[in-house]
Amino acid sequence: MPMPMPTLRPFLALILPGLLATTAAARDLSFNRDIRPILSENCFACHGTDAKKRKADLRLDDENSAKAAREGRFAIKPGDLKVSELWQRINSPDEDEVMPPPKSHKTLSPAQKETLRLWIVQGAKYQRHWSFEPPVKPAPPADLKAGPLDAFLLARLKQEGLAFSPPADQATLIRRVTLDLTGLPPHPGEVAAFLADKSPDAYAKLVKRLLASPRFGEHMAHWWLDLARYGDTHGLHLDNERQMWLYRDWVVEAFNRNLPFDQFTIEQIAGDLIPGAADAQKVASGFNRCNVTTGEGGSIDAEQLFRYASERAATTMQNWLGLTGQCAACHDHKFDPITQKDYYSMYAFFYSSADPASDKNTLLVNPVMKFAPPDKLRQLETLKSGLTTNQQRFAAALKTLAYQDPAEAVPPPKLERADAVWMDDAFPAKAKVKSKGKAPVALVGDPEIKPASGGRALKRLAEGFGEDAYQGDAAPIVVPRNAIIQVMVRLSDTNLPKSVMLKFYSDGWKHRAVWGDAAAISEGAAGGPEPFSAGPLPKPGEWVKLEVPAGKIGLKAGDQITGFSFAQFGGLVYWDRLAVAGETSAADDPKLSFQAWQQVKGKSQTGVPKDIIPLLNASPEKLTAEQTAKLREYFLVNVCKTTQPTMQPLIGAIAAVEKEVKDFDGTLPSTYIMGEVPKPRQAHIMQRGAYDKPGQPVEPQTPAFLPPLPATVTNRATRLDLAKWIVSPENPLAARVAVNRFWQHFFGLGLVKTSSDFGSQGESPSHAEALDFLAVTFRESGWDMKQLITTLVTSQAYHQSSDTRDALLNQDPENRLLARSPRLRLNAEAIRDQALYVSDLLVEKMGGKAVRTYQPPNIWEPVGYIDSNTRKYKQDSGESLYRRSLYVFIKRTAPAPFLVNFDAPSREAFCSRRDRGNTPLQALQLLNDVQYFEAARAFAQRLLTRGGATPQERIAFGFQCAVNRAPDAQEAARVLAMLKGFEEKYRAQPDLAKKVIAVGESKPDAALPPAELAAWTQVANLLLNLDETIVRP
Amino acid sequence: MHSIFDSEFQRQMTRRNFFGGLGLKLGGIALAQLGLSRLTTAQAATTGAHPPLPGLPHFKPRAKALIYLHMNGGPSQLDTFDYKPGLTDLFGKDLPPSVQGGQRLSTMTSGQKNFPVAPSKFSFQQHGQCGRWVSSLLPHTARIVDDIAVIKTVHTNAINHDPACTFLFSGSEIPGRPSLGSWVSYGLGSGSENLPSFVVFTPKWPDGSNGQAIYSRLWNSGFLPGKYSGVAFRSEADPVLYLPNPSGVDQGDRRALLDTLGDLNRHRLERHHDPDTQNRIDQYEMAFRLQSSVPELTDLSKESKATLDLYGSDVNRPGSFAQSCLQARRLVERGVRTVQLFHRGWDSHSDLPKQLGNQCKDTDQGCAALVQDLKQRGLLDQTLVVWGGEFGRTVYSQGGLKRDNYGRDHHPRNFCMWMAGGGVKGGVSYGETDDYSYNVVEKPVHLNDLNATILHCLGINHERFGFKFQGLDQRLTGVEPCEIIKGILA
Repeated sequence: MPMPMPTLRPFLALILPGLLATTAAARDLSFNRDIRPILSENCFACHGTDAKKRKADLRLDDENSAKAAREGRFAIKPGDLKVSELWQRINSPDEDEVMPPPKSHKTLSPAQKETLRLWIVQGAKYQRHWSFEPPVKPAPPADLKAGPLDAFLLARLKQEGLAFSPPADQATLIRRVTLDLTGLPPHPGEVAAFLADKSPDAYAKLVKRLLASPRFGEHMAHWWLDLARYGDTHGLHLDNERQMWLYRDWVVEAFNRNLPFDQFTIEQIAGDLIPGAADAQKVASGFNRCNVTTGEGGSIDAEQLFRYASERAATTMQNWLGLTGQCAACHDHKFDPITQKDYYSMYAFFYSSADPASDKNTLLVNPVMKFAPPDKLRQLETLKSGLTTNQQRFAAALKTLAYQDPAEAVPPPKLERADAVWMDDAFPAKAKVKSKGKAPVALVGDPEIKPASGGRALKRLAEGFGEDAYQGDAAPIVVPRNAIIQVMVRLSDTNLPKSVMLKFYSDGWKHRAVWGDAAAISEGAAGGPEPFSAGPLPKPGEWVKLEVPAGKIGLKAGDQITGFSFAQFGGLVYWDRLAVAGETSAADDPKLSFQAWQQVKGKSQTGVPKDIIPLLNASPEKLTAEQTAKLREYFLVNVCKTTQPTMQPLIGAIAAVEKEVKDFDGTLPSTYIMGEVPKPRQAHIMQRGAYDKPGQPVEPQTPAFLPPLPATVTNRATRLDLAKWIVSPENPLAARVAVNRFWQHFFGLGLVKTSSDFGSQGESPSHAEALDFLAVTFRESGWDMKQLITTLVTSQAYHQSSDTRDALLNQDPENRLLARSPRLRLNAEAIRDQALYVSDLLVEKMGGKAVRTYQPPNIWEPVGYIDSNTRKYKQDSGESLYRRSLYVFIKRTAPAPFLVNFDAPSREAFCSRRDRGNTPLQALQLLNDVQYFEAARAFAQRLLTRGGATPQERIAFGFQCAVNRAPDAQEAARVLAMLKGFEEKYRAQPDLAKKVIAVGESKPDAALPPAELAAWTQVANLLLNLDETIVRP
Repeated sequence: MHSIFDSEFQRQMTRRNFFGGLGLKLGGIALAQLGLSRLTTAQAATTGAHPPLPGLPHFKPRAKALIYLHMNGGPSQLDTFDYKPGLTDLFGKDLPPSVQGGQRLSTMTSGQKNFPVAPSKFSFQQHGQCGRWVSSLLPHTARIVDDIAVIKTVHTNAINHDPACTFLFSGSEIPGRPSLGSWVSYGLGSGSENLPSFVVFTPKWPDGSNGQAIYSRLWNSGFLPGKYSGVAFRSEADPVLYLPNPSGVDQGDRRALLDTLGDLNRHRLERHHDPDTQNRIDQYEMAFRLQSSVPELTDLSKESKATLDLYGSDVNRPGSFAQSCLQARRLVERGVRTVQLFHRGWDSHSDLPKQLGNQCKDTDQGCAALVQDLKQRGLLDQTLVVWGGEFGRTVYSQGGLKRDNYGRDHHPRNFCMWMAGGGVKGGVSYGETDDYSYNVVEKPVHLNDLNATILHCLGINHERFGFKFQGLDQRLTGVEPCEIIKGILA
């Protein structure tokens, strides 16, 4: 293996990290790689893009300005150091002359000066900033053994006298790729199967399997949700709960279904604006609702609206374009060509968002949308298809329904007997009887009197006019044809009335028949017809049947009687069995004849729906054919005695399903989506970035130094235009920024280390050609995320061993050259998930409302506002304690310590790369937290029950589970020694053992001896704390 | 395969202290390479205590430690230190528009028809050699006026709690930046092998006061590496998260496990040579030490009666402000760099006399005792103590006004803070406000000036103290020019 030249090392150490260049002399200088970073760091603040801060009207970022003649001198004169003021000034001993000026606290190192010197001597060639030039797919170096990506990396290594490390062993490889793709380790069985698979495509099959696992999306979601600053609370002041976990689940699902990255982008920036957007696309637009919001009393609306739009613009620019746009909020960007106008033109895309300035501390803040996640959607679709089936059945039945209106039948339907009893023993149901006379209404029977019919008779004692009557309330009575009304009456022979009378209410008390002295009982409807004298008083002392033809009292067939009265003048009268003898025609029956029903009108129809009543009340001839049909349908389904029995079950079935759909809808969660106010707000350049200092008005527009929006955008540009522009082939940034983020996930650092700054203050790519090769390939593949990932994880670079050595650490401390694979401490979520997984506690249920796992007391309480609904932490129980960490509730002002301890961000702001810290608090957590110690006991149970028969076998199995390899003899012996010690201790102190195994909500396996289980719990605790366990190898 | 360097490697492998040595060596190289940018994990591999950044402190520091007593919610300057006797005659009169000056108000009072002047109901007296006016609410603080410098003209950008606190402690109203204590830890490193370098207390506050929310971002490291975050010691449950062993496990068990763990980790380290693994071994040992040092720290039984009496009987109440003050002293004694206390409940929109009275009673003796205690032990000279809230309160009453009852809204335009100890001149009053305590008339002190001064006392030039993030050299004090408050420096 070629060795680095020892003499070179000190020099390298002085100048190169960060730049990753070889010595300046070793090859031609590149402006972007070698010169711009020096100028940007030291000169551009005063000689750059910010017109207001520019000194001496000199721009060193602009070739024309830098090389312009200035009274015979030049800032830079290619090839001529003597008249190049830049060179003279950086070497000036005079404090007033030297650049950078002392008060800037910037100094150039000798190596940087030397680089500048060489550059001027070589002709001072400028380049546009590399990331603003469109990527061109470079031809890979000819290396027949390596794929194109590896060829670029190898070429660079070769320059440095290095090469790839040997490949990692197969067990390491499957552990690495499984952790990287799913956030969980492989199962020992999976490792064994992979080791046994000698086919050439064994690894390719493995990658394919992992990419198809739903765990893939769950693991990828972490870094994307860091960028999206997703949380389960509003983030400011009260920090109350916010419900938008559907967005989190959307991200998981988008990765799992390999949504092309351009579509992934468009839906998140503008899913709500896509014409005919699917619900899921609107859910995706929640990306821009993830920002922190306030409901603090005293907040000023204008300030908040400014802040939200500003934050969204900055996040969008950083996330997709790798531009630190917020630097231009107060002034033109000092290092990149982003003007203040550019920034506020981007801001204008977000300044008309429909969400309010205050979140009012509520769970849901408009615009929100109900959404059925896939499993619910399937349920809903089943329900809805049931509804459709029922509706079709109903329509078919209606169509084939045999109905002939008897009123239209020729010949008319035959008359039939229609005798009916209107009252016997009791007034009609629901009738409210009002009585006049000496006593309340009385229905009496034996022994006082033997009724003429049934068990009781109506009794009335009166001085003067007396009656028992009702009107309304009860069901109407329809008068048959040729009706003769009959009633039984018995007059007291000792207290004889002067007259008795029957009264009927139909459109007034106008229908009366009197027996006896008609003049005496003169009560009647004023102005109405006189009562009909039906005959003399009947014979007292016995039951007599009185009869009167209905026609005589003005009642005709089909009339509806809604009240009747038994009246008398003086005396004691018993009444019984009011009945009618008559005939009927189906044509008269509103429950058989549509025409007859129409005559009845709506007012006497209870239960007729509102939309039918006007149709029913209108004159039939005034209805349109459509209205008539609608009315007729209602009649046939709900009224008509012959058709209703067929139709009611069908309509009932529809109603039942409709109710189910509605109830189901009530269970659907809502989530935040983006929206626009109907009339756009005018955006302005905000002077010095102050919300209350609007300057020049601006319209939504993309930064002027980048390719313009397409000419097809003629109206006011929208977020959708912005999103499409971001992923357009002309945009030089989006694909580079995206592939770099994937690279960062798999290699620890991006090819551009500053993964959210591709501007001139960001770091140049360590491998510019590899980056461009990946970016163009990614775009050309249709932005295929899984294909890109496959390219990365099947590369030789990825397969290398991560073992390092002293020389390499010295030469390349950050492993930017990739002469080995990185060793990366797992992220917070994977560390916890792995512990749950190897201990068999993990509950792999996807999606849904966030869960509240174990958390030490007093994390929320000391920071929470008294009124906050996230002040008191109420831990869940059962399976929620063992879900994947992705689903743990994120309270942004006091995030879960297991996350924070391992450098997960609070999600208050965009986070492009997590730190990988190493602290004593992490050690305390993994040793002592109930979540981990319970997992240790569960892991111990697994070892004891399924790990083999001997301690040696169990230790080996423990290593297989935790680090996917067998222990060597020394390791096994060391663990065994510890085990023995604990076994002795716990056998001697069984009570202690019982305490050790009682940690956590789940119960220890009662079949296992406590002393043994406790000792193995210590072993499992040890295994879960191995450096190797929490590191991706 | 191995270079000559590697055989040196092999030789040193046998030495127990090898990795410490390697860490230092790597550190030396990396520092030269990286300049101001973040430390690599290799560097941190040395010991539990992390070293200062190269070149720091920039000059001889006056203070080695910082204790920041944050009165969260915004204490009223008018009822504590900013004595305005002339207001008594203006009771209930409208604040003249010329004074109000069309400045923005919080929307809690911007709708009020009148802005009636509410003179303080509390009496003021002069105290100490310096003759400082202090209200009757702060009898204990009154006794230390010759040791403290009161700044009457602090002003801030924000008018509501969340942004104002975020600004106070991170120099930005937008979340995401490192807190003051994190900056200090990052720059000056840790002075303790056994304790975190930045410790936070969130003591209890009086019932009935309006306790605003606080946020872990006020002590988080923002874009700095996570290890510079403050560690919140808790008043209830364990002082440090996950500190106690699980039930049934003792320190002997832990020693057995950690010895095995160390051996296993070192064994693998021989193979992969990842310096981060050595760092992890060290962190586990630091964790073990913390398990002893923290209980020792929080055990007050060895404090003398005289000391306990100084802090008052409240010192025995778990989670009290007084107890937190005493623990702050114990922490700086043990080399902790920054201790921050967040005392809540100072947001007196209504019923101010009662609420503020309770707040002062809860804190006054603890504050004074802390300064006196530090002084008696000779620690005050090297410890900077800072007292204050995120803004002040309005001279006009929010809601109804009576002689003996009123409320006050947020007032960012001027408020009082005091500083004492390392580098600060006692008995000083700095800056002047107008007759209404509504505007600064002389020597304004922006919060950035205050933070620059705090850093100055700690030996840091704020203009040369940054961290490259998002393409900029980010500083606690931002990009606008600001000044050290020379007038209060000894």
